[in-house]
Amino acid sequence: MSEPGEINFDNLKPEEFENYLPELFASGNGKVSEDPRLQKLYAAHPDCLALVRDLETIAETARSLFEPVEDPRDEVWTNIQSKLREQSEHPSNGNAEEEAEDYLPGRLPEPD
Amino acid sequence: MNCEGQLMTQAPPSNPNPGLFKRNPPIAGEAEAIEAAKNGDAEAFSKLYTLHKRRVYTLCLRMLGNVSEAEDMTQEAFLHLFRKLGSFRGESAFSTWLHRLTVNLVLMQLRKKGLNLVSLEETINPSEEDAPKRDFGAHDPVLTGSVDRVALERAVASLPPGYRMVFVLHDVEGFEHNEIATMLDCSTGNSKSQLHKARLRLRELLRNPIQSPEPDVTAEATK
Repeated sequence: MSEPGEINFDNLKPEEFENYLPELFASGNGKVSEDPRLQKLYAAHPDCLALVRDLETIAETARSLFEPVEDPRDEVWTNIQSKLREQSEHPSNGNAEEEAEDYLPGRLPEPD
Repeated sequence: MNCEGQLMTQAPPSNPNPGLFKRNPPIAGEAEAIEAAKNGDAEAFSKLYTLHKRRVYTLCLRMLGNVSEAEDMTQEAFLHLFRKLGSFRGESAFSTWLHRLTVNLVLMQLRKKGLNLVSLEETINPSEEDAPKRDFGAHDPVLTGSVDRVALERAVASLPPGYRMVFVLHDVEGFEHNEIATMLDCSTGNSKSQLHKARLRLRELLRNPIQSPEPDVTAEATK
């Protein structure tokens, strides 16, 4: 398949256009819905524009999921403390190669 | 596909990545805590846990889709961090480095579980029948220009593992396709294609939410 930069999109069929979508979205040249090369195609096939806009909306909303909303239970930290203590007291229980890079943890305080 | 190589067992390389560094700006007091933790300061390690537990846990939860496994993996990630912290050179944001470490651990865990390994491979190299269907002939009901965050979270949780992995890594976590290709041992073209199919599947799920079962993730989130 040709690279999107070499294509005349004006007369593409919608199913042909979709083959280029992964690369068009990945190329990172602004919004695919606003790409000047695609405006004639969109005018002829509004479903193509609707699809592109939906996919843009999904990608944009996904970025908002980056901010985490949930904390692990307190037991997770308790277990980490316990494991580290165990490793410092019984270093032979762990992976020997990794232990060579470890330092003794001591008693870990509670997190804030 | 074989990702059981050294990438999975070593601490992640701390290559500079301007995009992710911008997205993960340094946190006040973090640099001092890192240096102190490197020298065995337990209080400092506790602070690093406090600063990053939520993000690490959320990443595990999204990738694994299971609270119990996400907690276990969070624990593993911080234990691994404790051992590998000395190799962090500060060339990228610490949270970026920790993310990559966590992703590597999760991928290794998934590959240890035969079932998940198979489903990941199936969706990384899907058969045509697995790919989301498009029907350009019919009128396409569209999303209304906005997607509810909770609805998207729920839809993501119901994606097949391979689609979910690429979508979370790229669209949520901000990894580039070449980075994902390295992590998943596939081509960048494959990563782009999988992401596109994941978005198409999400579009279907968001337009027809009845198809999307109540996942473990959101069940926990609403507690």
